[in-house]
Amino acid sequence: MLRYIGWRLAQISVTFFLFLTVVFLLFQAMPGDYTKQFIMNPRIPPEARRALQERLGLTGSVWDQYLHYVRNVFTGNLGISFQYYPREVWDVIKERLPRTAVLFLVADLLAFGVGYPLGKYIAWKRGKLSDYAVTVTGVLFYTIFTPLLALILLFVFSNVLGWFRSGGFLTPSVWLRPPVDPQVVFLLLAATIGGILALGGGIFFLTKRIGHPRPRNWARRSLILLLLACAALGWYRSGIGTYAWDIVWHMFLPVLAVTLISFGGTMLLMRDSMLEVIREDYITTAKAKGLPDKVVRDKHAARTALLPTITNFTIGLGFIVSGGIVTETMFSWKGMGLTYLEAVLQQDFPLAMGCLIFTGILVLLLHLVVDVLYAFLDPRISY
Amino acid sequence: MIPRRNVGIEPLWKIRARLWARSLRKNWGLFWESRIGPLGLAIILFFVLLMVAHPILMATVWDPRVYDPVVGFDRAMVGRHPAPPSWAHPLGTDPIGRDILSQLMWSTRSEFALGVTSALITVVIGTFIGAVCAYFGGVVDTFFMRLADLVMLFPFIALLMVLRSIVTLDLWRLALVMGVLSGFGGITIILKAQALTVKVKPYIEAAKVAGGSAFHIIRRHIVPNIMPLSFLYMMFNVTGAVFTEAVLSYFGLLDIRMSWGIMIHTAESAGYLGAFGQYWWLWAPPGAAITLLCFAFYLVGRGLDTVVNPRLRKR
Amino acid sequence: MPLLDVRNLTMHYVTKMGDVHAVDDVSFMIEAGEAIGLVGESGCGKTSIALTLLRLLPDNARFLGGQVLFEGKDLTHIPEEEMRKIRWRGISMIFQAAMNSLNPVYRVGDQIIEAIQNHLPISYREAKRRVSELFELVGLPPEVIDRYPHEYSGGMKQRAVIAMALACDPKLVIADEPTTALDVIVQDHILRRIDEVRKKLNMAMMYISHDIAVIAEVSQRLGVMYAGCLVEFGDTVTIFKRPAHPYTVALMSAFPSIKGEKRKLQGLPGEPPDLLQPPLGCRFHPRCAYATAICAQRAPRYEEIEPGHLVACWNPRSGRA
Repeated sequence: MLRYIGWRLAQISVTFFLFLTVVFLLFQAMPGDYTKQFIMNPRIPPEARRALQERLGLTGSVWDQYLHYVRNVFTGNLGISFQYYPREVWDVIKERLPRTAVLFLVADLLAFGVGYPLGKYIAWKRGKLSDYAVTVTGVLFYTIFTPLLALILLFVFSNVLGWFRSGGFLTPSVWLRPPVDPQVVFLLLAATIGGILALGGGIFFLTKRIGHPRPRNWARRSLILLLLACAALGWYRSGIGTYAWDIVWHMFLPVLAVTLISFGGTMLLMRDSMLEVIREDYITTAKAKGLPDKVVRDKHAARTALLPTITNFTIGLGFIVSGGIVTETMFSWKGMGLTYLEAVLQQDFPLAMGCLIFTGILVLLLHLVVDVLYAFLDPRISY
Repeated sequence: MIPRRNVGIEPLWKIRARLWARSLRKNWGLFWESRIGPLGLAIILFFVLLMVAHPILMATVWDPRVYDPVVGFDRAMVGRHPAPPSWAHPLGTDPIGRDILSQLMWSTRSEFALGVTSALITVVIGTFIGAVCAYFGGVVDTFFMRLADLVMLFPFIALLMVLRSIVTLDLWRLALVMGVLSGFGGITIILKAQALTVKVKPYIEAAKVAGGSAFHIIRRHIVPNIMPLSFLYMMFNVTGAVFTEAVLSYFGLLDIRMSWGIMIHTAESAGYLGAFGQYWWLWAPPGAAITLLCFAFYLVGRGLDTVVNPRLRKR
Repeated sequence: MPLLDVRNLTMHYVTKMGDVHAVDDVSFMIEAGEAIGLVGESGCGKTSIALTLLRLLPDNARFLGGQVLFEGKDLTHIPEEEMRKIRWRGISMIFQAAMNSLNPVYRVGDQIIEAIQNHLPISYREAKRRVSELFELVGLPPEVIDRYPHEYSGGMKQRAVIAMALACDPKLVIADEPTTALDVIVQDHILRRIDEVRKKLNMAMMYISHDIAVIAEVSQRLGVMYAGCLVEFGDTVTIFKRPAHPYTVALMSAFPSIKGEKRKLQGLPGEPPDLLQPPLGCRFHPRCAYATAICAQRAPRYEEIEPGHLVACWNPRSGRA
């Protein structure tokens, strides 16, 4: 398995270098060098422009520039944002990247949590009315014009029901005199989510060897409940719970939107993959063993059908990221997508470039996570 | 069944035509049985009707000065734009006094043109590269597969946003760029996998033994066998192209005079999206049109999937 | 009371082109502890019978009539929940494609333990001990219990599938072409092993094969199927000595006998009938050398021509002693 992961890691690094090169060439193709925006900006003195040119190595030959660029990417030295002058690009990205990562992580997990069982269910009920109804609904959400979905969600949840504010990262009135920086609170939140996921995974693997399904499920459920309770209690006692809650509250709609647009993809993949698996002989064998229908479906068909679903998941990632850019914009969630869009519109190219690179890194990391997951789930990968 | 005694007398093309008609009938039956495919097709036909009706309406009922989708203006209602739906304007008017229905119908044409052109380019490239990779393997294969990985890595919309700063993107250029880019993307991986299953068939070996050149084998044996899958992916690509255009237009990043995305963009930049329910006719019709068209092509694609992929059929 | 009594079983598959008459009016019995064989060309409905017994037919199958009495209980009418308990515990099956009968993502041992724990109230550890006993029985080393199917060779998978079929001490095991995928030497070895185990555990066995010579070795009684109908049924020895149905005669001359004298192999002219429109009368009559006028008009009755020897033919060849 390690060899498999190592091999994928090598492949991904090659892809990453190619990606860096393409981004570099893309920005090379722009008319003039991308610090030219600094001339027009009265806030930025010409010396600053020259300093920046020097720093990014824009004075040398194309090859020099490329070497400079690669080194800069790895040292986080991406230049100065024109929009947020004099903030460093890396500084801006450092702030925005976790927001996008958390949004995507939570939404994708939810989308998977919805899509996987639904796909499993409709494949089992193929040709029935529920199959058609759920498929059509899934496709509708998958292909819905994202701004339209966002507008509808905003209308329903903030205009009609009044549950949520219409977007943003936090409610300024709550944060009048915050004891901590919102970024810190957010990072703590992200750490909590990550911790819950990691420990949850640990619980899952630790309890795997409990033979009987009933005590196993019982142990899993109670341990995970305990974990969630600990996390909730920790936040409650921390004194910054209200602030955290405010951020979570703002995250709700964007997460819902990304979940809705992406669950259909997983669901349809799962359905098709299930339909293929159901025809396999070992499913007939499982039925012949007298196993209950649910066990055949969940343990034998769905578990095996999960593998191709996971591999195909990466093909749709770009689509989800594109949807994410639109979603962030619609809900003014200041993540990478919105930052990128603004940077492009304002021709703040150092920032745009940084965003593009780090979005690429994020997607690649997801690819890697999916690969590792796959290696864990498929016993046939053992070399 | 072809009566065997006729083979000698009947010209070959007639037999081919009959075989073709028969497989078409069978495939249509399968497509029809998928139920969601025909639903998508019905929606597409509806949009075709809208597209065809527009020039007819402009020539007969609608006064071009009032109803032109780009430069029209209804003087009779000055000061009341954007006006809600009325008999004169079934879907109301936009902030600068143009008829929404007319814009909607007129844009259908460009959506189709864009979607189909881009998907066609994608499929031609994808099919060819998929076949070549499967046939030759080795370095060629590795190169195009890494390239596909790379293309899949780029969020499309993000890439087009930058590209727009380099070249102005009008409808045809956008179609070309999207078509070429996605042609080198995930589709090559899928089509290559399919071509690989064709490559191991005995008739390929037979064709090689018979002295067929690589190009001949790819063109006459591999490509026709992966065509159905290509056609299927074309439908998904139409969805992707229409969606991408709409998003970019919505952000006002394209050099297109009128499209569904631009209609919403107009409403937004004039500040009518904030009061959500009040000016619904500004965003709901184009939003619904984009969604429906993407939805329809996707459904047709899924319907074709049950025809092309026997494993998805009912037993 | 016989262990299994199948009476007038009729089953069709519904397709777009029409009904496929897969199983037509089939009746036979299996006594406890007995091994019978079911022989016929591929597509003659042997596997369909097996699947009907276990009620594992695909969605488009229509059960049209007949009874399957297992220990006196009609399996065609009991609720699904009750049927589930009979599967594997009462009747288990060794599937045709043993290679694909094991789920690739679970350990082989666990897949057998799953079957055991589903029917018997024993712990994981006990179940595992049982699996290692079963592995010994079929000739597999116990250390492969915790391996995955892809780590098994074809013959090992076959043995594991047999071990799985025996896991719950079933009263009847259906073996559908248990050895077709294996080479001849392994084939023979495995068949013998199954037969030994059967005798040891006193189970009834129903072999299904297209190869009459192979299953005649291990079955006490034989049934011959043609185009969805059971055309002859009787003692293996009787059938070999006095085959009564022309099809049985043809079938026996189409295979080389392992022990028998040298003789010329004969093919059977014509093709098996299209089960969408089976021929009227006797389904074999278009290919039968002895067909008379009545054969094309009315289906022959399935009757006893000597004690324990049943034939459906208007002009049985021999046997009418």
